Amino acid sequence: MTRYAMCIDLHRCVGCHSCSVACRTWNDLPMDIIYNPVLGGVCEGTWPNVHRNYLPTLCMHCKNPECVPCCPTGASQQDEDGVVWVDSKICMGCKVCVNACPYGMRDTSHMVRRFDEFVRKCTFCKERREMEPGADPYCVQTCHQNARVFGDIDDPDSAISRLIGRSDTFRLLEELGTDPQIYYIPDMGGTR
Amino acid sequence: MDMKQYQAENAEIQYKHRYWGWQIALYLFLGGLGGGILFLTWVLSAFVFPGVDMTQAFMLPNFIALLVIAFGLFCLVEELGQPPVFYRAYVTATSIIKWGAVLLTIASFGSLFWLLGNWSPESPVLGFLSVFNFFGGASGLWLGAAGIAGFGIMVYTGVMLSTLKAHSFWSTPALPILFTTSALSTACAGIMLSLCGWPGVADMATAAAAHEAHELLHTLDIILAFAELSILLIMVLSFLGAGNRTQQRVAKRWIKGSTAPIFWIGMIGCGLVAPLLLNVSGIPGASTLACVLVLCGGCLLRFLCVWSDDRQPLEGENRYYFRQKHADMAFASYYTKSGKELERGENFAYIDNLY
Repeated sequence: MTRYAMCIDLHRCVGCHSCSVACRTWNDLPMDIIYNPVLGGVCEGTWPNVHRNYLPTLCMHCKNPECVPCCPTGASQQDEDGVVWVDSKICMGCKVCVNACPYGMRDTSHMVRRFDEFVRKCTFCKERREMEPGADPYCVQTCHQNARVFGDIDDPDSAISRLIGRSDTFRLLEELGTDPQIYYIPDMGGTR
Repeated sequence: MDMKQYQAENAEIQYKHRYWGWQIALYLFLGGLGGGILFLTWVLSAFVFPGVDMTQAFMLPNFIALLVIAFGLFCLVEELGQPPVFYRAYVTATSIIKWGAVLLTIASFGSLFWLLGNWSPESPVLGFLSVFNFFGGASGLWLGAAGIAGFGIMVYTGVMLSTLKAHSFWSTPALPILFTTSALSTACAGIMLSLCGWPGVADMATAAAAHEAHELLHTLDIILAFAELSILLIMVLSFLGAGNRTQQRVAKRWIKGSTAPIFWIGMIGCGLVAPLLLNVSGIPGASTLACVLVLCGGCLLRFLCVWSDDRQPLEGENRYYFRQKHADMAFASYYTKSGKELERGENFAYIDNLY
């Protein structure tokens, strides 16, 4: 069974926000919505041994998503490959899923006209992957540092499985039991 | 920007804008109030005064319940991103919202049919309503359905928030208990204010039973106000002492932060302690004032709780949204709305001013 996941190497991320720009361009997002903010930029350490930490985020496509069962219309769905997405034709914009997401990775489009507002989120570029089977999400393709690796985590020979297997990874808010499918390789400081 | 100034502002900012507005807070209050009135009128009619016809005494309370539920539903629908397709809320069985929508529908129609079945207005303008008196044949059934659904609504308003475990302050079993207690308390106040009012025409036996019901509700309201005060203080103080970081931050804001005046003076003082004292004082007219204060306190509780929607921030999230809110968005808005291309030097000068 295919189960899509992403691994982000924080040691490679330089906080250039290319992934955010790529995502916004591909999905034609309004100004105040972003699917994959690069958080952080906080300085750590003591001069001269200082560095900045960045935390690129996106929907965690959790195995046990909080946002899917709470949806009253059934618009919030999870495919068999683990991708969580919102059917804009069914969504009525009640924002329960937005409040249910512990990561704050869902948003409503406030800049479109009233009566046409629905919840939006990252879908691992579902439409793009349907058009071009085997294609990576746009943020993965754009990352010039190759910090993002996308693939089938259930396939032991996939790049992401091998990367996670040989690295010390962590996931965000694991204690909530959502089983997020975005893995992070921690930043150790300095350069590689 | 100076780092100390940044940290000071950062401590109080919401890392992301609030998703649910005043409509949801008002809806939770009105839903609880309406559901509570329907539940209590059913219990009083069916179990406390089974031998007395309380229909005329409970006409106005039920009419008010129907109105507040209808207005609450209007607020809920108005808050939707796509109000015209609100009927989609009835689809998914796993969603707590769906069960809330079903309960509200049953309560509304039960209450409406009960009212139509028992209301025979003499006024020529409203006289046509008498044609619906055939609903009166199953009066007990309508009130029973509305009462049971009303109980469900009272519980549901708290359960809906407590299932959202992303928000630590909501995700506690104490919240449904608090909301149910508050709903019952406000319902007592609502019924006491409207008992035997228009359009009901009570005879002597009904008026005597209504007076007895008023005394009973008065005692019940004192007990409920005391229970609500205890639950509220236990919940907030235990969050402050033993909660996680998010719960502690919210509890601190309630107890000694920006919402402390609303909490201590508005909710605890005017909404709970003052009605308690007024109710036990026995001063003529004090009970009416106490009822009004209880209603205001219940409303304030829902607003404070809905606005305590803090989520555990991810690392660096505060900084990101602070910059976006105060600088990037302002710059983007200025740049896109001014309709003119800024010179390169102007751009940098503008950004510097923002920071």
